[in-house]
Amino acid sequence: MTTQSDQPGTNGAAEDKLGGLLAKLDEATALLAQAPDFAKPAKLPRVLDTARRVMLQEGGCAAVESRAETLEAAGIFEGSDWATPQFLVPSLTTQALKSPDANTLVVEAISELRLLAVAKGERLHPLISAEQAHHYLTQAIALNLGLLFGPPTEAERETQGRLAQLPRYLFQHLVARIGYEHIIDRLIAEIWRILQQRPIQVEPVKQMITQIAICQADPNIDLGTSGQGADRLVSSLFGPTHATREDPGIEVYRERLGGMDPSALQAEATGFARAMHDTGLVSPYHTVLLRHLTEHGDQLISEALGLSSTGRDCLLCYRDLVHALIRSGVHPATPQAVYGLALMLERGILYQPPVAPAMWRQLGLPLSEWSQLRLNLAFGEAVSPRARLLEGVLCMLGLPLGVGQGNNPTCQSARALSMWAYNDPDYLLQMVAWAARDDEIIMHFEGMPLSSMASLSGVAKELPMDLDPVSLIVVPHLDRIYAEMGRRCAGREGDPHRWVNPEFHGWWSGRGFRINVDVATGQIIDLDAFLRHFYASYHPYYNGNQPLIHPQPAGIAVTDSAARFIGWHAITLLRASLDPSDVMRVYFYNPNNDSGQDWGDGIRVSTAGNGERFGESSLPFEQFASRLYIFHHDPLERGELAQVSQEELDQVIGYLQRSWGADRLSPTGLQASSGP
Amino acid sequence: MKKDPNKGYIALLGWSLNAIEAAENFDRRYVVVAPDWAEEYCQKHDIPYISWNFERLNDRSMEIAETLKEMGVNVAIPLFEETVEWAGAINSLLLDSPRLYGQSLLLRDKALMKRRAQLGGIRVGIFEEAHDKDDVIRFLKRVNQTLLKLDGDPNDPIHLKAFDKAGCLGHRVIRTPDEVDTIPEEEFPVLMESHLDGWEFAVEAWIHDGKIAFLNISEYVTLGYSVFVPASPELEKYRPQITAQIEKLIKAFDIEFGLIHPEYFVTSDGEMYFGEVAYRPPGFKVFELLERVYGFNAYQASMLVFDPKTTPEEVAAFFPKEVVDADGFAGCFGVYPRLRVVSRLEIPEEVEDHPYFESHELTPPMQETVTKRTAFGTHWGLVYFKGDDAHRMRDLLKHMEELDFYV
Repeated sequence: MTTQSDQPGTNGAAEDKLGGLLAKLDEATALLAQAPDFAKPAKLPRVLDTARRVMLQEGGCAAVESRAETLEAAGIFEGSDWATPQFLVPSLTTQALKSPDANTLVVEAISELRLLAVAKGERLHPLISAEQAHHYLTQAIALNLGLLFGPPTEAERETQGRLAQLPRYLFQHLVARIGYEHIIDRLIAEIWRILQQRPIQVEPVKQMITQIAICQADPNIDLGTSGQGADRLVSSLFGPTHATREDPGIEVYRERLGGMDPSALQAEATGFARAMHDTGLVSPYHTVLLRHLTEHGDQLISEALGLSSTGRDCLLCYRDLVHALIRSGVHPATPQAVYGLALMLERGILYQPPVAPAMWRQLGLPLSEWSQLRLNLAFGEAVSPRARLLEGVLCMLGLPLGVGQGNNPTCQSARALSMWAYNDPDYLLQMVAWAARDDEIIMHFEGMPLSSMASLSGVAKELPMDLDPVSLIVVPHLDRIYAEMGRRCAGREGDPHRWVNPEFHGWWSGRGFRINVDVATGQIIDLDAFLRHFYASYHPYYNGNQPLIHPQPAGIAVTDSAARFIGWHAITLLRASLDPSDVMRVYFYNPNNDSGQDWGDGIRVSTAGNGERFGESSLPFEQFASRLYIFHHDPLERGELAQVSQEELDQVIGYLQRSWGADRLSPTGLQASSGP
Repeated sequence: MKKDPNKGYIALLGWSLNAIEAAENFDRRYVVVAPDWAEEYCQKHDIPYISWNFERLNDRSMEIAETLKEMGVNVAIPLFEETVEWAGAINSLLLDSPRLYGQSLLLRDKALMKRRAQLGGIRVGIFEEAHDKDDVIRFLKRVNQTLLKLDGDPNDPIHLKAFDKAGCLGHRVIRTPDEVDTIPEEEFPVLMESHLDGWEFAVEAWIHDGKIAFLNISEYVTLGYSVFVPASPELEKYRPQITAQIEKLIKAFDIEFGLIHPEYFVTSDGEMYFGEVAYRPPGFKVFELLERVYGFNAYQASMLVFDPKTTPEEVAAFFPKEVVDADGFAGCFGVYPRLRVVSRLEIPEEVEDHPYFESHELTPPMQETVTKRTAFGTHWGLVYFKGDDAHRMRDLLKHMEELDFYV
């Protein structure tokens, strides 16, 4: 239960590096301090840049905190708003911390670290009191809670790159020093919001829950009335059942199991299952029970997995396979495998003829050295790489919409994996086998074989590490193939996704293709027909009430909370239907790690409470249509353009004009759509 | 810093914050001579200042010299190529030495400079002035004829340089007659030179009383991209020959004091070819690099050797011993965007994580489309390194050329 730091490097070399950087920082600070006023601006960039590098190291924020007074005295805040900390506004931190300009971000970070020393009473500041500084910091942390969770968002990744880690390190440091008691309720709400999306990767969430548990157990922290909602979260990890209540440790629990009668085992099984299905989190104790139960009959296994009649049926049909999966894949270090297994059984995909034999192949799959190395590097060596990968496979098949792209520009590959897990599981298993065993995937593009070995580079510049086990192994191959397909389309007129998407994702991706952006100019074209065609293809009122059959790739223009254009993003259209309050919604999968995004102009992507299944995002149809720029359709089924009312189209176009389309609509286009 | 009234009073010609900062921290009185846009800034920051617009020398040129003389200024130091002849004109009055003006004109015109060097017995490549494109084509043909090339053999390139611009500005390499068409008319007249295969390097030499006070060799890793100081042992091996060359240069140009910044080629057989010489601080921030490894401020060094009141003892005490007193190697790399369309500045991780990496002065891109480089364009900013191994430094700087800083 020790908390793991996710900052890079924990060895002596990293300390040396920090030491070297600090020497450089001190030198640059001294130069700034000595410089006459007129020469200060020229010395400042070097101080800020070095401070940035320091804060990206483990212990860097603490080191800068201890130098904050010197830095301030040298004059880094002079001539800026930060020179008068008593007037700083917490709500402005959100913008500063997401700024693409490294210097803005670094000055903000140093300013917060300076206030931290003031808030802790370790330093007297002539302009701001300890209470003021404390209040400012708690407000700033609460406003930027997202920074305490998981990887950066698409918008941050696009604008900040590697820099996006800095505010995360900063906030981990701030929170550790300020104390969780001041922010814990917001934290709990945030954890529940994330868990409702059922991500495969739950490590960041677990770390936050562990932090909360530590706070609760620490007699020095007075949480007051806060933190009430944390019990279910903490217990689901550390003591969900009667016999684990006091977090006794794996060995003690294993002994206790030996002395239990069937009804006691039954109680344990239901306790675990309830906690697991409540939160999506699995306690390591759960794995001990499940392994124990393989010798006590399938009824209890079914109870422990919390299966419905569908899942139970599947378990009984494939009991040897399930037992083998438990023996190989379910360990205290791979608890999420239990949840993956349960949901995979519930999906009934083992009834597809190739899936069960493919799972047997997975069980015996020899992993290449490279694959073993990558898995060990990313997840440690607590279990064998094969067990780790098996956990990943179970989770991906159980939670196809829980795949996340991590902090990488590989939304295409994440989407493909999710789509295969959802729609073509045995193809996914084939991909995993090729990648993990052979270090090579071959896909075909217009009849030409493309090998991931021969393709030079992918979209991601470096090998991604912050991924689930399956993605970790398969994404580098997919990314290279995807980029290679793009290269094969170089020189063709129009958007390459027209050809790449169907070849990359599968035969079911429609060969018909619509885009409303002119690739050469970036202007929006043909908007009216584009939207009518989309309605005709996907909206149940206009397509003969035909539910979407296969998941379809689509492209959206992502906008930030101020409705400004961020970039193009790949998603999957899953279904369009009425929600519980009779609003027609599009339900879709977003490979981004947190789908609950605010796209501005009142468009907030919903992830729960509007009829979403786990992992689905949704928006009212017209709001979704306003951010859409690419979709696929079956060219043979192309019918009439939908007779959508002008009123409804105007609504869509209005959303579009007020966001990413603001400077992309030609004057004539505007006149045609906006009435007097 | 407290100023010593017994030492010289110095005028800095041109606007350089680094030079002003150095002057502020030095014991000589100083005054900045710069265009009128600097006035408000100088007033705000209490910087001694005289307004002067350096255009072509004209009838009013004596005015500034007389103003400075009335103020009691002893000497003027040029900070940029464009102020070299101004310094010559002003100093000829201040120091009552008319030949200084003629000397500065020699140092401003690359064609005159080469002839003077040749007269002084210094080896130079073949060169000629060109007034139009036909001259260039003829020179290209003649040079390659001389090299006994047959029709169809690839040509040896020739180099074109503006007469009076600093460093790489306006420097073009021409290989075929077709490329001549790409030269805009307004760039003429230009100096043309044959291409010399060899190792190019630069020297910064501070001269006092007609003698070398300090001689630095700057090693170019790739011309226009990267430089480091002190030079690698392989190049420092030539220091005696290089010193002899500089002494020849001092004699040929009759230089008594100041900072000279010549460029040379050394060919594989150890022969030195003179490229050009400038009478001002070098580009590519070599001054900063020198300060990083030797600890002395190179602007202050220039003020010292220009100041007629400086004693030989003071000079001897100021400068460290070349090479042995350097505490490592400092280098810098000029970044050019490699992609046609860029959206942001992103220092490659391998650079940031390199123990030699010190700092950079790159700024986020102002425009998304990168203008195509004609000639040797201007870099977008410098990246600084320091470390203790010359070869590692050289390889590192070379490797920088393969990286994208703008993506």
